Formats: sequence, C-alpha cells, structure tokens
Amino acid sequence: MTILMMVLTILLPAAGALALKLIPGLDGDRKRLYLMTGCVLLADCVLAAITALCGDAEWTFLRLADSLPLMLKSDMLSRFFCVFFTVMWTVPVLYSYRYMEHEGHDRRYNMFYLLTLAALNALAFSGTAVTMYLNFEMMTLLSVALVLHEMTKDAIAAGLKYLIYSIAGATMGLLGIFYLATNTNGAVFVPGGSLDASAMTVSPTVMMIILLITIVGFGTKAGMFPMHAWLPTAHPIAPAPASAVLSGVITKAGVLCILRIIFYVVGAGFIRGTWLQQTLLTLSLLTVFMGSMMAFRTDLFKKRLAYSTVSQVSYVLMGIFMLQPTALTGSLLHIIFHSTIKTTLFLAAGAIIHQTGKTKVSELEGIGKQMPVTIWCFTLASLGLIGIPPTGGFISKWNLAQGALASGTGIFSWLGPVVLLISALLTAGYLLPVTIHGFFPGKDFDYEGLQTCECHRFMLISMILCVAFVILGGMFPGAFTAFFGRIASSLM
Amino acid sequence: MALLRNVPFASILACMVISVISMVFRGRIAKVLSYLLTTVLLAASLALTWYFVQGNDAFVFTMGHFGDPWGNELRAGLLESIMAAAMSLIVLAALAGGSYMIRSEIPDGKKNLFYIMADLMLASVMALIYTNDLFTSYVFIEIATISAGGLTMSRQSGHALASTARYMIMNLVGSGLCLMGITILYGTTGHLLMGSLHSAVQSLFENGSYHLPLMASLILLTVGLSIKSGLFPFHEWLPDTYSYGVTAGSALLSSVISKGYIFLLIKLYTRVFGLEVVRASHICILLFAFGTMGLIVGSLRATQAADIRRMVSYSSIAQIGYIYIALGLGTQEGVIAAVFHMLIHAFGKSMLFLSSGALIQASGGASDFISLRGSARRDIPAGIAFTVGAMSLTGVPLLGGFVSKIYIAQAAIPRGGLYVVIVLLALAASTFLNTLYFLRTVITIYRSDANAEATRHAGPVNSLFLCAMVILNFGLGIASRPLYNALLSGLNMFI
Amino acid sequence: MLLFLNVLFPVIMGAILPLFRMKSRTLRSVYVMLITCMTSALAFYNLFSSSSDSGFVFLHLTEKAVCVLKLDDMGRLFTGLIAFLWPMAVLYSLEYMEHEGRENSFFAWYTMTYGITLGISMSGDLITLYVFYELLTLTTLPLVMHRLVNGRAAAGLKYLYYSLLGAALAFAGIMLVFFYGDSTSFTYGGVLTGLADEQKPLLRFGYLLAFLGMGVKSAVFPLHDWLPSVSVAPTPVTALLHAVAVVKAGAIAVIRVTFYAFGPALIAGTWAQAVPFCLSAFTVVFGCAMAVKEKHFKRRLAYSTVSNLSYIVMGALLLTPEGLDGALNHLIYHALMKICLFCACGAIMTRTGREYVSELHGLGHAMPVTFVTLTVAAVSLVGIPPFIGFISKWKLAQAGVLAGDFYSIIAPAALILSAILTAVYLFIPVCYAWFPAKDIPESKPEGSLDPTWRMKLPLIIWCAAILILSVYSAPLQSFISEIARGAM
Repeated sequence: MTILMMVLTILLPAAGALALKLIPGLDGDRKRLYLMTGCVLLADCVLAAITALCGDAEWTFLRLADSLPLMLKSDMLSRFFCVFFTVMWTVPVLYSYRYMEHEGHDRRYNMFYLLTLAALNALAFSGTAVTMYLNFEMMTLLSVALVLHEMTKDAIAAGLKYLIYSIAGATMGLLGIFYLATNTNGAVFVPGGSLDASAMTVSPTVMMIILLITIVGFGTKAGMFPMHAWLPTAHPIAPAPASAVLSGVITKAGVLCILRIIFYVVGAGFIRGTWLQQTLLTLSLLTVFMGSMMAFRTDLFKKRLAYSTVSQVSYVLMGIFMLQPTALTGSLLHIIFHSTIKTTLFLAAGAIIHQTGKTKVSELEGIGKQMPVTIWCFTLASLGLIGIPPTGGFISKWNLAQGALASGTGIFSWLGPVVLLISALLTAGYLLPVTIHGFFPGKDFDYEGLQTCECHRFMLISMILCVAFVILGGMFPGAFTAFFGRIASSLM
Repeated sequence: MALLRNVPFASILACMVISVISMVFRGRIAKVLSYLLTTVLLAASLALTWYFVQGNDAFVFTMGHFGDPWGNELRAGLLESIMAAAMSLIVLAALAGGSYMIRSEIPDGKKNLFYIMADLMLASVMALIYTNDLFTSYVFIEIATISAGGLTMSRQSGHALASTARYMIMNLVGSGLCLMGITILYGTTGHLLMGSLHSAVQSLFENGSYHLPLMASLILLTVGLSIKSGLFPFHEWLPDTYSYGVTAGSALLSSVISKGYIFLLIKLYTRVFGLEVVRASHICILLFAFGTMGLIVGSLRATQAADIRRMVSYSSIAQIGYIYIALGLGTQEGVIAAVFHMLIHAFGKSMLFLSSGALIQASGGASDFISLRGSARRDIPAGIAFTVGAMSLTGVPLLGGFVSKIYIAQAAIPRGGLYVVIVLLALAASTFLNTLYFLRTVITIYRSDANAEATRHAGPVNSLFLCAMVILNFGLGIASRPLYNALLSGLNMFI
Repeated sequence: MLLFLNVLFPVIMGAILPLFRMKSRTLRSVYVMLITCMTSALAFYNLFSSSSDSGFVFLHLTEKAVCVLKLDDMGRLFTGLIAFLWPMAVLYSLEYMEHEGRENSFFAWYTMTYGITLGISMSGDLITLYVFYELLTLTTLPLVMHRLVNGRAAAGLKYLYYSLLGAALAFAGIMLVFFYGDSTSFTYGGVLTGLADEQKPLLRFGYLLAFLGMGVKSAVFPLHDWLPSVSVAPTPVTALLHAVAVVKAGAIAVIRVTFYAFGPALIAGTWAQAVPFCLSAFTVVFGCAMAVKEKHFKRRLAYSTVSNLSYIVMGALLLTPEGLDGALNHLIYHALMKICLFCACGAIMTRTGREYVSELHGLGHAMPVTFVTLTVAAVSLVGIPPFIGFISKWKLAQAGVLAGDFYSIIAPAALILSAILTAVYLFIPVCYAWFPAKDIPESKPEGSLDPTWRMKLPLIIWCAAILILSVYSAPLQSFISEIARGAM
C-alpha cells in the first residue's frame, strides 16, 4: 500500500506533464492549462500526505547490474521532504497564472515544472545513493528548462552555466558514491550510516578527501562555496515563480543529498572531530558571510535575493556539519522557514517587476505606497529572515545557535553563532531598505504622481499563504520541532 | 636418373656457350637464345630439385680429373638446386618482362651485348651456386663482376658510364680482397677443394695454430663479398648503378648477382670454416651491426629519394641489411632465415624494378614521383605488381616478406640478450620506414591525375610476367612451408 | 569451416563488386544489403553453434605459426556486436553515399572490411589476430581516402603511418610471446607459464611493445592523433569503422594481448602495468579536454572516441576480473552510443550542411528524430543513470576502487573528470539544438529536415537498443562477467 502511494506520488506529476503535452488546444487556453496543473499538484499534495501517514516501506524497482539496485524507500526524512517539495511546489501556481502572462510558452513551462517535481519526489524517496544520484541528475536536466525559459542569449548562457555546474557537482558526488558503495555494501541508506572505518579499501585520510569532494559536489546545488557561482546568475534570470522554487526548493535537494550521505551512509561518528568537519564548517560559514556581503552590495533586486539564498542555505549546511541533534533540528526548521520566506521574497520581487518593470533596489522609492500588500508581505518575510521573534526564522536560528554551542567543535562553537549574528545584521541591511524606502521614500519623492498598481489577488494569495506560515510557524513551532528532533536523534 | 647429375656442369657450360654464340648474331636472335637458355635451365633445375626431394643425397661432380688438392669440383644438393631454379626464373622474367625496356633504352648496335652479358652473368651465378672449390669461385666472381659491369654500361648514357666506372672500382677492390683471402687460406692449409679445406681448417682451429692467418682470410673474404653485395658501409656504389642502368638490368643486378655473392659467403661460412669458427671469430657481430646500420640508413635514404628507381635501390640496401642481420646471428636458423629472405627479396625486388619500369613508361619516361601520379591507373598490372612487391617487402601478412620476418625473429630470440631487442626493434623500424616510402609511393601511383594521358604501354608480355610474379609472391606468403622445409633439409645436405 | 566461410564470403563478394560495373543505384544497394545480411545471419548462426568452439586452421605460415579461426566467449561477444551493427550501418550509408559518389569502389571496400573485421573477432590466436589487424588497415585505407577531397589524402597517410607503426611494434611483442609461450592459442590467464625469472624483463618489454602497437588502433596517447584526422572521412566510415569496428578491434586486441597471451600474472604490479595504465588514464582526460576545445562537431566526437576507448583500455589494465568486466561492458555500450552520435551528426551534415557546434542552434525542432536519438545517446554517454553509459562507468569505477594501490585513486578520478568534461562538450550542443536563443536570427531553420527512412531507421533502432539495454541488460551482463572471470 505504502509502496503504491510512493510510486503514485512520483508518477502523478509526470503523468500530468504528459497529459499537458498530448491534450490539444492548451496553447491558447491558459486558464485550462493552469487549472490542470493546479489540480495535479493539489492531488499530489494529498497523495504525499497519505504517504506520510503510512509507515516505512522499501521497493527495489530496477536492477541495473547485480551490484546496482535502484530502490525506493519511505522513512521519516523522505516523507518530510516529499511533503515539503510537493506543498512548496503547489503554492506558486496561482501566482504564476497571472505572472506568466507576459512570459509566454506556458505549456512548456508547466510541463517541465511538473516533471521536475516528479524527479524531486523520486529524489526524496530514493533508498540508495545511486538512486539518489539518478534522480538528482534527472532533476537537474529537467529544471534547466525553467532557468532558460526566456530564451534570450543571456538566459541560455545562464541555463548552461547552471547545467554544467550542477553536473560537475553531481559528478563530484558520484566520486564519493563510487568509494562508498564498495565500502558499505551498496550505499543503501541506513539511519546512522554503515561505513566500517576499520575495513575500508582506502586509508581514512583518502576517504575523507573523497568525502570532502563529494559533499562540496552535492553542495553545488545548495550554493556552497566554492561551487556557488552559478546561483546568482541562474536564479535571477528565471521567471519569478521559477526563481522561487529554485531558491526555495531545489537548493534543498542538494541539502537532502548531503544529509543522506553524511547521516545515512557514512555515519556522523566517522566525521565528528576530524579536519573534514572543520573544513566543512569553514566552508559553510564562509559562504554565510560572503553571501550576505555580496547581497548587501548588489543593486539588482533578484540578484540580491539570489545571494541571500547562497547565504541562507549555508545556515542549513552549517547546522548539519555541527553533527549535533539540536543543530540538525535547527537546520531542518530553517529548511521550511527559509523556503517559505524566500518564496515570498521572490514572488514579491516578481510582482514588482510585473507591475512596474523595475529591477533595481535603488529604483524602489515609494514602492510601498504603490503596492502596499506586496510590500507588507515582503516586510514580514524579511523580518523572518533576519530572525526577529515571533517569526519562524527566529526559531530555526535559535536552534542552530544552541546546537553550535553544544557541538563541541572547538572554535566553531562560538564562531558559528557570531557569524550568524553578523549575517543577521547584514540581512537586515540588504532587506530592510526596500521596506524603508518603499514606505518612506523621503522628501524628494513625487507624491502627486503616485498611482497604486497592486498586483492581482491571485498573485497576492500565494504570498500571503507563505507569510502566514512563517508567522504561525514561528508562534507554534512545537509539532515541527518535535518531529525534527525525532529525526535528529535517530541519526546520532 | 644419373643424367640429372650432369645438370650443374651443363648449366654453366650452356650459359657460356650460348653467350659466345650470341656474339655472332644480331639482337633478336640473341634474345631468343637467352629465353631458350633460361627456360631450359629452369626446367633442369626444377628436375634436379625433384631429384633431391625424392630423397637422394648431395653429390659431387668433378671437372677435369685433377685430384686433390687442386682440381675443380661442383657440388649439388637441394639448397643449390632451389637457388638455381629461382635464379633462372628471375632471369627469364627480367629478360622477357623487361624486353620493351631493353628495346627502348639500349642503342641498336648494342642490344645483343645485353643478352650476352646476361648469359655470362647467369653462368657465373650458376657457378657460384654449384662450386665446391675456391679457384672456380674466384674465376666466376671475376666473370660476374665484368658481366654486371657490362649490363650496367649497355645503356650508354653518361650517368650509366659514370656509375659503371664507380661500380667496377668498388667491385674490383672487393674481388681483390677475396683473392687475398683465398691466397692466405690456400697458403695456410694447402687445399683448394672445400671438402678438404674444411677438415684442415677444423684441425687448425682446434690446434690454435695459424690463428691469425685464419681469421685474416675469413675477414678478407667477408669484406670482399660484402662490398660486392652492397652491405653498409660499402653500399654507396649501389644506388647509382641500379638507377642509371636499364631497368631490366637493375632487376638482374639486385636480385641475382648480389644473391650469388651472398650465397657464396654462406657456403664459405658453413662448408669451409664451419659455423663454430665463424661465431668464435666474432665476425658475426660485425655483420649484425653493419646489417642493422644498412637497414636503417638504406630506409632513411629511401624516404628522401625523389625518383622511384633510386628509392627501390636504397630499399635494396636495406633488404641486404636484413639478410646480413640474419646471417650475423651465426646460427643454423639464422642461415635458413637469410636464405629464405634472399629468395623473397629476389622475387619481390625484381618485380618492383620491372613494374616501376612499366610505370615510368606509362608516365612518358619520367621517373620522379610527381609525374608518376596516377600511373597505376594507366597500367593496371604494373600498379598491382608494384603494390604487391611493396607490401611484401614491408612485411604485410599474406605475402612472403611477413613470413620472412617471422623466421628472422624466431631465429633471433634464442640468441638471447641484446640481440633479441635489437633485431625486434630493427624489424619494427624497418616495417615503419618501409611504410613511409613504399606505401606512400603506392598511394602516389594511385592518386588520380586528371590531366595525364596514357602513353606507351609496356606490353602484354610484361603484364603477363608481372601477374605471374604477383601470384608467386602470394604463394610464398600463404604456402611457404614446403619451401622452408626444403631449405632446412637442403642446409643439412649442404654442410 | 563455417567460420572461414563467414570471413571469406564478404571479402570475395566485396572484391568482385567493381567488376559488375553496376550503374543502377538500386541494384547495387540490393546487392550490398543482401551480402551484408547474409553474412550477419551466418555470423549469428556461428555464434550460437557449438561447432565454433573447435578451431579451423586456414593458413600455415610456418610450422608453428598458423592462422586459426575459433569462437570463444569473448569472440562471440564482439562478433555479435559487429554482426548486429553492420547491416544497419550499410543501410545508413546507402543514402549517405548518394551525396558523395563513387559508390562502387566504396561499397566494395566496405564489404571487404566486414569480412576482415569478422576475422579479427573470430581469431583463435595472436598471429591470426595480427594478420587480420594489418589487413584491416589496408582495407579501410581506401575508405578513408575516398575521392581524396577535404584533406583525406593527408589523413589517409597519417592513418597508414600510425597503423603500420603500431603493427611493427606489436609484431615484436607477438614474436616474443610466440616463442616463449606454451601454445599460441588464446588462453585466459596467458600462455607464459613456466617462465624463468631472468626472462621476465624481456617479456615485459615485449608486452609494452605489443600494448603500444595494438594501442595505436585504440588511440592511446601518444599514438592517438590519427583518429581526429580521420574524421574527415565519409560519416559511414567514421561511424562504423572508426567508432566501432577498427577502434574496438584495437581494444579487443589489447585485451587479448593482456589477458589471453601475456597474462596478468606476468604484468601485474610491475612497471609493465603501471606505464600503460597511466597512459590510458591520461588519454581518458586528454581526449575529453581536446573535445571541449574542438569546435567542429565530428572532430569533437572523434576526440570523444579517443577518450572512451581509453576507458576500456584502462579498465582492462586494472588486471582484475572486475576491470575486464567493466571494460567489456563499455566496449559494447560505447559502440552503440557512438555509432548513434556519429550517424546523427552525419545526418545533420548532409541535410543542413552545418558542421560546427555553433551552427546547431534550433535544429532540434527541425530534425526531431535525429536529435532525439542524439540526445538519448549523449545523455547515456555522459553517464546519467539509468542509461547504459552509467552502468559501464559504474562497473569501471567499482573495479578501480577495488584494485588497490594508486590505481584505486587514479581510475575513479579520471572517470569523474571525464564525465564532467563530457557533459560540457555534449550537453552544450544539445541545449543549443533544443533551446535556440531568440535573438540569434539564423537559429530557426524552416521545415522538417530529418533524413529519409534509410538513415532514420538505423538511428531509431540503435536508440531503442540503448533504451532497452538501459533497463534490461541482465543476460548480457552475466555473459560478460562469465567472460571476465575466465569461464569459457
């Protein structure tokens, strides 16, 4: 039963994409197109929920070779990610109905949108490292179409950069999988890992170097230094709802892979206390700081948000690399809160572009007067990102800091929270000006020529939903914290 | 079959008689007589071969009833008869297949001279093959030298005369050295007949007495014959002689005369001195080294040649190097491999000279590579023959040269040590270098040249012989085992 | 006997083709297809018949050196591959060569080459393999130099020189193993049992020579340069011969020399393993790097072949059964993928005249069948699971990890680097083809430019083969692992 639900959750979006291709007449009829997409996605949310309620399950669906099974598996982490992917994928659809009016090629966009979700769900339910790699690559290939949707020379160049970086990163991850598969009997995911350090075919140092390459490789999708350069190019040039899912969801796919490798294949014990952990923490903290700095200095609105993603996702990574239950809980919390926050921010930026055509932050004087609801949503989301209570962002950051202090990683115990704090200040520095200048444009502003041009309510609904989640989640985080705490303790 | 025992003597005598008679007649009759002569000799030699294959032993034919230690003897065995048959065949092919060249390149009054010289040359080669005493050897060495000089000179062009002069000088030096060697040997042992010489040399060698004169004679004979067969570093006369003479003459020189000298050298080594003495003298090392050098130098110079005949001539130097490498191994397998390669080279080289002559003819008489483009399409049998000859000498499988390479390699490996590495690398280098010049030429002659037109064709006789030789070369490549086995038992009979 | 007939039949029928002086294209097409299909049918019959296990001696070169045809399991594998691919390739070339002309001589040599290639796959010992190897060079040379345009003469000469240099070196090595070996037939594990210690360095040197010699045809650095040059030949030649038949013959030869003649026991752990291994590992990365730099699409694919061939050689040189397993897998899979890529490229070249990567914008929509097959083959070659390219890469990497020493670091690292570079040089053209930029004017070709059924059908069949094998390759894989373990 569970297996059937798993498979349906994966296949439904794919079937939906196929239907979109085959059913004639959808090119002109945008309403029907988006209606279909929305229905498929809502149905998938239901399926995901049902699967989440069923228990653990496992299914080998194909054997590529004797030593190479492809397996689907449902455990706590996969159920969480599946629901997360599906819900976050559904939210922007209503928004994109209105937004994509001026972009065109809706059918192709929605097809690849659905196919990417299918790949993501398959990724969530992967049971071995090779299956995970397969779905990871599929997801990359399918999401390229989302990035280069505009089909200008720049968009295509950005899409290719995304493609090559992603494939390079995934291949680096594959290197690790090669070694792990031999040393752990096929790299099947087992909570707590299955690497036997005393019986490896290579020396521990070599294995750690390989693991570094692997994690940096998968970290490409998550925008970790040094493989982050594609993100600020690719995310801004995609259409706004695509940017939202790219930043909010697809980056987390990279996080999922890292989680699986560290906790379900290698085991935290192998890495804890070694130079590998220190290197990884350094890289993630560096990214946190660097991302915020670059965001602070960029004027292009969407690019600023992209750099913000670079920084924020590395919060998540930092929490993972601390190898401590509370920190991990914080990471998982930050996954959902950052996702909803960043979705809101990108949707708002897209709304501004859609309505006024303005792309730079410096041009946004008085925007709050023109599009009040949008900017209110933006503001609340910003507060969440900075980490002001009672928003969800505060909860996740609190857990991260606590976990860091308790992690026993020497210098990083206090360096972590310090960097987080600095980054929070920078976040305020790069997000709040929009609000401030938007609502209080100053003496020189032309108040008479002001016109409200608030966007359509469809677009607003998506944003409001996300913001509501951020606030409510921040006020009543208990269920989430408990659930994530269970996952964390099962792994360490 | 006692009649067959007369074949050796009759062969030599017939050639000499025919050549004398031909002096009286004009060109055309001389030609017919030569054809007849070679055909009959071929048949006779084949009959003799069959006689030995039946299981008969080698025999000695005494000429003139002078006994030991002077006197003249001929000895015939399987090896000799095979060589005789091969040489007759090649002479026939060269004369008949090259008849148009003889017709066109030699001035009218001198045509019969060519055939006379060819007959004499055949006589001397037969003698060198069959002889069993040193005196006869020397006499016919001289006759061979002179007749070869005559062949080269018959073209009467300035280049031909100059190269003949150079040829004569070098070869007479060689003959002189041979004479000195023979003299010392006679002086030391008091014998001229090879059978008696052998036991005398053996006992001298075991005693250790007269060691220096023995070695000296060995060296002198070797150097003398090496000069005459074109071993590095005595090879400089060869390219000019082969390129400027009549092409049919070059075929004879490269395939017949040089083989005669080498055969005599083999005879001296195996029958007179014995392989142990030869090995002890370390002359093998010299032969081996010079052979390798000749191989490399000849091949390199061939790649630089601008004219097809010169290229084929330098290739001869390289191939002679092969043969000396095999000889320089100093073992029985080495000797058989050398003889085998002599035969392969003889058949291949004569075919190459004949076909390149035809190709030159088809290109209006020009022999440089630019003019030869596309000539293979103008004279199809010549093109095929050249290709097959080139591939055989390069060592492409299914042709004789490949089998020969296998035999040389297999003879070298038991010698061990550095010999193996050098031989294998030399074989590899030779194959590669041969590709560079031979197979490149094959491609050149097949490249279409739009504006060239067919000129005088070399004639159907030429094509016929070329086709026959192509088939022979393939036969040697595919079914050479009987020949090899014959050579093996021949060598056993030889000693 | 049937094996010999299998080899001789196409050679003779191909050789006499020009004698018929056929003017009618249809007649010639029927003749060539008929001969090819008959040969393939016979080959498949021989594959499954157990009488092929006994050898057939067809030539006695010397007392000891004989040419024998015999099918062991590895021979069956290669024969099956060739027999499967050849008829489709001929079908493809029937349409392709209409644009080039001089088809009589072309198909004569093409058919003869089929016979010679079968000879290589059916060789029972090293001498036979060598004989056919040299003959293969000679029969493919006129194909490369077809009509002597486009610098084909220079390419042909280069091909000739490299090949014969290789043959020359290989001959030296072969003579050594021939002399010192117990027998000349191919025996898994080598024939050099009972070798004294002081003879071993010489034999190792001989192995190196044989490796380099055979390695020319499998394009190992530094003897690889002929392969990109030869890409100026007509596409059917490049696709079937220089992506499949000739180069795979080279790879097979390297495997035979390593596993079935000299034997791993002699070479393992010594410089005789390390040097060839490092050369092939270098070639893996080098070929990909050159492919990235190369702007001409067909040359790019040629460099890709250089790299992929060294996957096979590198895997074999791990000298473990797993390594051989991975190598043989890649041999089969790469042949399929590469022939698909080259033929798609050829279709593009003949239908649109576009040869450079930068000219491929938007062609995906104008030539959908061609580009779908090209995309599938490209995705597979990069090594995206579950396609076959991933399976062989995986096996090679696993073998590398298990091999120990520095091999376990270099092999997977080379594979990974190569995979990234492959993505760069293959995915970028594919992206351009499917997603043309709006602001480039010439990117929208009009109409449907897909080739006719004679070129489309082979592409579709090969693509289908890739897809089917991607999900169901268990029988093939178990067959290969039997070969790799040495069970006959």
